[in-house]
Amino acid sequence: MKKIIEVKNLSKSYKNLKAIDDLSFDVYEGEILGLLGPNGSGKSTTINSILNLLEFEKGTIKIFGKIMKPDAYDIKRDIGVIFQEVAVFEELTVYENIDYFCGLYVSDKLLRKSYVEDAINLVGLKEFTKFYPKQLSGGLLRRLNIACGIAHKPKLIFLDEPTVAVDPQSRNNILDGIKKLRDDGATIVYTTHYMEEVEMICDRIIILDKGKILAEGTTDELKSLAKLEEKITLEVKKISSKVVDEIKTFKTVDSVIQNGNNLVITYKKGKDNLGELTSFLHSKKVTYSKIFSERPTLNDVFLELTGKDLRD
Amino acid sequence: MFIHNFKYSLKVLFRNKSLIFWTFIFPILLGTFFHMAFKDIENNETFHAFDIAVVNSPYYENNTIFKKAINEASKESDNKLFNVKVVNKKDASKMLENKEITGYLEFSNSDVNIIINDNGIYETILKFFVDEVNSNKKIIENTVNEEISKGNLDYQMVISNVMEKLNETVEFKNISRSNLSYTMIEYYTLIAMAALYGGAISMYIINKNMPNMSSVGKRNSTAPIPKSTLLLSGLLASLVVQITGLILLFIYTIFILKIDYNSNIWLIALLAVVGSLAGLSLGCIIGTILKTNENAKSGILIAVTMFLSFLSGMMGITMKYVIDKNIPILNMINPAAMITDGFYALYYYGFESRYIFNILSLIVFSLIMLLISSISLRRQKYDSI
Ligand SMILES: Nc1ncnc2c1ncn2[C@@H]1O[C@H](COP(=O)(O)OP(=O)(O)OP(=O)(O)O)[C@@H](O)[C@H]1O
Ligand SMILES: [Mg+2]
Repeated sequence: MKKIIEVKNLSKSYKNLKAIDDLSFDVYEGEILGLLGPNGSGKSTTINSILNLLEFEKGTIKIFGKIMKPDAYDIKRDIGVIFQEVAVFEELTVYENIDYFCGLYVSDKLLRKSYVEDAINLVGLKEFTKFYPKQLSGGLLRRLNIACGIAHKPKLIFLDEPTVAVDPQSRNNILDGIKKLRDDGATIVYTTHYMEEVEMICDRIIILDKGKILAEGTTDELKSLAKLEEKITLEVKKISSKVVDEIKTFKTVDSVIQNGNNLVITYKKGKDNLGELTSFLHSKKVTYSKIFSERPTLNDVFLELTGKDLRD
Repeated sequence: MFIHNFKYSLKVLFRNKSLIFWTFIFPILLGTFFHMAFKDIENNETFHAFDIAVVNSPYYENNTIFKKAINEASKESDNKLFNVKVVNKKDASKMLENKEITGYLEFSNSDVNIIINDNGIYETILKFFVDEVNSNKKIIENTVNEEISKGNLDYQMVISNVMEKLNETVEFKNISRSNLSYTMIEYYTLIAMAALYGGAISMYIINKNMPNMSSVGKRNSTAPIPKSTLLLSGLLASLVVQITGLILLFIYTIFILKIDYNSNIWLIALLAVVGSLAGLSLGCIIGTILKTNENAKSGILIAVTMFLSFLSGMMGITMKYVIDKNIPILNMINPAAMITDGFYALYYYGFESRYIFNILSLIVFSLIMLLISSISLRRQKYDSI
């Protein structure tokens, strides 16, 4: 697979704070790479360093096989960036904003017109072309922000948390749009701290924390990394501590956490656990009002890797 | 690309309400305020009686018309122009030296000499008085000879003519170009201030192109275009907006407030354009070298502009005199003073060395500021954004 971005040994500090610590990873052609990490983990710093907006102490960045530099205009021509903060002119309408930013890449007026219209359709802002940013809701504003970054049909797109503070409708519109861009051939780097989004659209995921890569792979690969494989939640009327202790001795059980009448049992291995548990409870005459089994989520993986919740 | 960015920069700037307020509306409001405030001051100044002397001589004693006119003008009344003392020549020149009097008159056989030291408003009144009496005297001489011997002249008419002319400042200035109405300097500083406020416009452009100053700056910095192209086209647009603002201010002061700049419009325009350039460069330097947020920078720019305008005489001409006299270097590096002094020089001397010197100073100032700005703008990557 062709490497679109190659990051080698990237380190960046803000004064005393090490924001990125010896980071190396590649991004391959045609994929959506998810950069997943909690607030302050270094996602934005990574993107801004790759783009050469930030000065970094160490590391090399290659994009499209060439060294990235601030004046590497041939590389920049094929990149689109959607920054975490909305970056539009308050004084320009939706259409004018997209046309302005697109015009920095595309000189031909006719071609630009069709590009701008494509972008407007992609993010669904057709009825709002004459609106000023102030008149747009949060979700629509985010969509405008995206349209401004992708109107010139870049081959490589960076999206830094494009869905923060956006309602589910706009979020789905945005996620669909991003998938469509990938299907049209773009390579995408997508940062977020929402796991569902990553599970929905990313082909590959890098989990970042404190400027370091904790894990890397597809969703399934990451989940298989986890020690635990199954999680059973049980709501009982009454259960003796003797019974709980007995459950803990099961060969595949990793841990049992009791919280009043609720039990959360995690398993290292995941075969027939539910059946085994229900027949055991029957034999002990324990009645339960609810029982369900879950596969671990990325959040559980993250929790295991870092000992903290991804959304903190 | 250049034109694309230029066009959109114009759109952005003309639609930015706060920029338009500070650079278009605020100077006009301030000008209106000056106009209302100074109208009264101006009038009071003109009606203040001053001291003169007349050299005692037989020529004076025999010049009935002048003698009566002077008596009439110094009589206690609402129309009193001056207080007069009849003294010998030595005393008169001593009094003038000691600034006890504005000037003195010396009569010869056929003529009257006005001896003055300065070119202020009172000196001009004195000159005007003499002119007025002389011309009336001639009319009478030409018509009814006998009237002269009787000294029959309408003195009230003479004085009211003087007053009338004084009130019409425009007319007044035409009589004596060397007299500058006190309030004119305020309008010059107003234009200087407006020109420097234009710095807010160029600063806006700078901010929108620096990734550490604005999110749009980040976006612009990822575009495949040299930063210099974006900046130059943006700054050109900012100059156009600034000059538009100044043109409006001129139109307003000339046609609504009836200010007479008393000079060639092209020389005024040149000064305004060069002044705008100085404002632009001031905005660039504050925009680039200060490491703080957008609002703080605007506040600083406005404060600096106000202060520079104050030094150049905006809140009272005394300030300009004090600085010109004691710390001249301060106004030599103060762009507001250069603009003000440029207008002043144009008014006094026309297209001559002092005006040209101010124009050149403004250009040098702008170039130095722009040079320093461009050095710090060259930076491509930032420690933190
Ligand atoms: N301009 C700056 N000056 C100093 N420290 C900074 C600066 N920008 C970021 N940091 C710090 O660097 C670390 C990484 O920040 P970064 O913005 O890259 O994180 P992030 O993963 O994008 O977080 P978020 O999800 O909040 O956007 C954080 O600890 C942050 O506080
Ligand atoms: Mg971030």
